[in-house]
Amino acid sequence: MDTPASSALWRTPLRGTAAANAFVLLGAAATAVYFVLPPRAQAIWYVLIGAAAVGALVLGPRWHLKADRLPWYLFAAGIAAWVAGDAIFDYYDVQLGREPPLPSAADVLYLAGYPLLVAGIIVLLAKLGVIAGRIALVDAAIVGIALGLAQWIFVVDPYTHETGLSLNERIFGGAYPAMDILLLAAFAQLLVSPAWRLPSYQLLMASFLSVLVADELYAHYVQTYALGSWIDVFFLLGYVLVGAAALHPSMATIVARERRAAPRLTTARFLLLCSAFFAVPITLLVERALGHRIHATLLGITGVVLAGLVLLRLVGLVRNEERARRAERQARREAENAQRLLGEQNRELREFDRLKDEFVSLVSHDLRTPLTSIVGYVDLVLDDPSLSDEDRQYLAIVARNADRLHRLVDDLLFAARLQAGRLELAVSDVDLAEVARHTVETLRPRAEAAGVALQHELAPELNGSFAVVGEASRLGQLLDNLVSNAVKFTPEGGHVAVRLSRPPGRALLEVSDSGIGIREDERDRLFERFFRSSTASERQIEGTGLGLYITKAIVDAHSGRISVESEEGEGTTFRVELPLAEPA
Amino acid sequence: MTTEQPLILVADDDADIVTLVRIRLEAAGFRVVTAGNGARAVDAARSERPSLAILDAMMPGLDGYGVLAALRADPELAAMPVVMLSAHVHADDVGRGLEAGADEYLAKPFRADHLLEVVRGLLGR
Repeated sequence: MDTPASSALWRTPLRGTAAANAFVLLGAAATAVYFVLPPRAQAIWYVLIGAAAVGALVLGPRWHLKADRLPWYLFAAGIAAWVAGDAIFDYYDVQLGREPPLPSAADVLYLAGYPLLVAGIIVLLAKLGVIAGRIALVDAAIVGIALGLAQWIFVVDPYTHETGLSLNERIFGGAYPAMDILLLAAFAQLLVSPAWRLPSYQLLMASFLSVLVADELYAHYVQTYALGSWIDVFFLLGYVLVGAAALHPSMATIVARERRAAPRLTTARFLLLCSAFFAVPITLLVERALGHRIHATLLGITGVVLAGLVLLRLVGLVRNEERARRAERQARREAENAQRLLGEQNRELREFDRLKDEFVSLVSHDLRTPLTSIVGYVDLVLDDPSLSDEDRQYLAIVARNADRLHRLVDDLLFAARLQAGRLELAVSDVDLAEVARHTVETLRPRAEAAGVALQHELAPELNGSFAVVGEASRLGQLLDNLVSNAVKFTPEGGHVAVRLSRPPGRALLEVSDSGIGIREDERDRLFERFFRSSTASERQIEGTGLGLYITKAIVDAHSGRISVESEEGEGTTFRVELPLAEPA
Repeated sequence: MTTEQPLILVADDDADIVTLVRIRLEAAGFRVVTAGNGARAVDAARSERPSLAILDAMMPGLDGYGVLAALRADPELAAMPVVMLSAHVHADDVGRGLEAGADEYLAKPFRADHLLEVVRGLLGR
């Protein structure tokens, strides 16, 4: 289940591997120590190693998992049953000096351990999404039956026919390899799952493999087994490895993996299924070759069951294929729909854009027409020589404000066009010195009215003229914006200077003033659309916040650069660098 | 014998602007005939044969471009200088006006002295 808790676990970084590493190292050392201890200490040591594994299996999930701890607790229970069995076995061996009777409580605990471990693996695989769905179950059955067949024919059956064993010995002795079939089948499923890539699951599988090897060896050497036998290496490593698996933080990763409806037919899975499919004929051939009694009935029945299951698997594959095709068709339909929708939205956006342009130009038109009348009639009245000075003064105010409105309309229209990405220049060689002279002369009356001295300095090496490539009206607009701003932000008695010079390879235009300056934290935002400095707002200096935005756009369109230097209360200098025209 | 002053056709749907332009032109010594829409402007051009036409680009019905096209299509009026007045100021609009065959394109709001300068220039005075 992809609960929020397990999604959080998905992000758990692979850290804290130290505990697992230490557990493996200490466990290996403890296993080595085991073989040099006296028998009584050996018995206690053996149980201690097992108990440590149980402890790790309880602790690990509590460290690493917020949910889905059940499989690990099942492992803990299974191993705990084995350890309890070990304790009883050792009690007989060391304390009473004889093997426990068959069956004893130890056998019951040992045999109970297997289903618990297998249940743990099944729950784990279910959580991994590996055995979700019928197909995964069929796979598990095919592999389980094939492994069971081989185990039965080559291990369990000979054991039950072993002469010189009591009935109990035969039944319980055969029960262990039979239980191994379960473990082996579960193990095979784990092997073909994506889990094996993670250290925790590698440790888990190594542990099961170790126990399986120990069991097979035990079945063959049961007569000679005693505490301290070399076979114990595998049992003890089984404990150590399962404990380390629980402590390794990667155990948390896989639990949150996304579920799939059916397992992918990976190469590993395919090979496993193939070998399972050939289990019957190969077993038959091996029995024949070894000269064993041939289990004809068992082989026949198993063959039929396996064939049936393979058929079921095939049906599953075909159905999957059909499902995939249906899903693909559906996805394609959805993609086509999405594309159509996108197309419609694009058309709507274009329409919206067109409407916006239309609106801007309509507003601009509707404002310009009345402005024409206002400006025209005011001029007409101002032409009348009999006008009183007072009336002339008032009408000049109207004219000035009409002019302001006119500029505002122009700026808004210009900004709207810039926003639509349309600043195309009609370029020619422009004499920047002439543009500067013209701008300064145009703005001089306004500067004088504001009590600001306006100076124009042309570097002497320029010989009075100096060409850049650009659009004269736009360059005039640029300079007009900068000089108007300088005049606007300079208090009475201050001065504004326009300087033109030619550093190597470029034209440099500087507009400096002795004005109120720009706050440092606002300098970066000066060229943003509609940005107004806090001093401008506080002092109620008129403006729209479009002038410098437009200025920068014009500079950019000319491949130039604009920068600003300012000292609060001291003044500001704007520098515009433009590429020079190639000399003819 | 004095030469008769040139007659100028002024067409705009905004009566205030028509009046303003008429006052300015008459003060400069021109005779003026006015029209409040495109169709009347074409009629006036045919009946009065003005020396020059000042046309507002945007008029309801037949707009300035329509009037211009009608003038250019009439062999007797095709050579008449035309000044287009428009509240559309972008280079695209100016280009459109000049492409349509206008001799000058003035953006609103315009200054009276500039208009007179343009008119005098086109009449060669």
